Amino acid sequence: MTTMIQVENVAKAFTLHNQGGARLPVFDDVNFSVEAGEALVLAGASGAGKSSLLRILYGNYRPTSGAIRITHAGRPVDIVQAVPRTVLDVRRRTLGFVSQFLRVIPRVSALDIVRDPLLARGASPDEASARARAMLARLNLPERLWTLAPATFSGGEQQRVNIARSFVDPSPIMLIDEPTASLDAANRDVVVELIAEARAAGSAIVGIFHDEAVRERVATRYLDITSFRKAA
Amino acid sequence: MTLHAAFPEAALEPEPLLTVSGVSRFYGERIGCADVSFDLWPGEVLGIVGESGSGKSTLLRCLAGIDKPDEGEVLFRAGPEPLDIYSVSEQERRRLMRTAWGIVHQNPRDGLRMDVTAGGNVGERLMDRGDRHYGKIRERALDWLQRVEIAGARIDDRPRQFSGGMQQRLQIARVLVSEPRLVFMDEPTGGLDVSVQARLLDLLRVLVRDLGLAAIIVTHDLAVARLLTDRLMVMKDGHVVEQGLTDQVLDDPHHAYTQLLTSAVLSV
Repeated sequence: MTTMIQVENVAKAFTLHNQGGARLPVFDDVNFSVEAGEALVLAGASGAGKSSLLRILYGNYRPTSGAIRITHAGRPVDIVQAVPRTVLDVRRRTLGFVSQFLRVIPRVSALDIVRDPLLARGASPDEASARARAMLARLNLPERLWTLAPATFSGGEQQRVNIARSFVDPSPIMLIDEPTASLDAANRDVVVELIAEARAAGSAIVGIFHDEAVRERVATRYLDITSFRKAA
Repeated sequence: MTLHAAFPEAALEPEPLLTVSGVSRFYGERIGCADVSFDLWPGEVLGIVGESGSGKSTLLRCLAGIDKPDEGEVLFRAGPEPLDIYSVSEQERRRLMRTAWGIVHQNPRDGLRMDVTAGGNVGERLMDRGDRHYGKIRERALDWLQRVEIAGARIDDRPRQFSGGMQQRLQIARVLVSEPRLVFMDEPTGGLDVSVQARLLDLLRVLVRDLGLAAIIVTHDLAVARLLTDRLMVMKDGHVVEQGLTDQVLDDPHHAYTQLLTSAVLSV
């Protein structure tokens, strides 16, 4: 087994300087690891810090202390200490983040959004287009929408574009935050299949799923992060 | 996942393009910018944000060779050896400014020659660089006008006949035609309508990515910073108060001033 993520003594607190310096501790002394081919589902009540933890793994939130070793191109990289260009390289090649929300860029078509990660990883434009089309079709996005910018799409359509972008070339590590929130049952099934396929191909998955049925189909292991709450 | 193997481990460039150490600029008693240091790597886009008077434009002028800092140095790697841009002759610095880097001014009038045709504005940069073949220069100018979405038929018109958004796109074509390695932009979308801004931003985003440009962009607009930049420096009263990956700084700001900036944005 290959360890893809090693979390060591991570603590996080937010300090709100403009609200009287209020300090909001989130968690303390978080330790766990994730192997290639497993799907770790984060559990814990709303507000326990599941999304914060996922963002910390992605290098988006900075922990107050601790280290996050990501196995990148065969070597461990501490995402907390890494310089920006290293973090960007790790994200481009190793670390994918699937959020509920698509960040819409004016004038960029759904197809181009989905093609983009393939092109960034060096695929030919033809190959990128073919794979992007196949993925959009699989997620049941009507073909007439493919060449349009998703600004005017419904929430569920935007979410499917976002999922297509993330799964068109699954990263060795996939961080997934509520991917099925506004999807119907058929598309939810497709997402569950995509996650299972990525895992079978060796991706390490860490996810948050509020839908209990989805959670049970996806998880190979649970981590209840309530246990890391600061005993205050 | 077969594609990942396509990237060799040495894909990251070994040396920064620009190394800035301890740059300060004072106006009498007043601080323009103080003790700014950072490295910029090939292909990286750095944003400098802060409110008016925070020193971000002063810093940009120091970095771009326009305004000599009172302290510190700016090293630029055009060749194998880094070059201190303020220790070389004025002539050499001007040559660098015309060939190895480009400056996009907030007001297109500062970057364009208003009495020269659009084609002439773009072609002039190629001539600065030593190109002499008229037909080829015109052909490249035409190509660049189209890349910035200006109809080829306008090649012989003068910039004053263009709208503000078109003038700004023309300025960008003029800067990028000579294939600079580093581009400085001072509020490139300032003063444009929102719809025109969106088009320009998308154009910049695509060009920066396709050309692998390194860029330093001064803006007070955090949405522009999020769309275009990899890294962010937040300035206040001439000092850099926070810096890091753009999404880190915007989503998990640590400094009081950055928290104030990000919480002051109205979302639409």
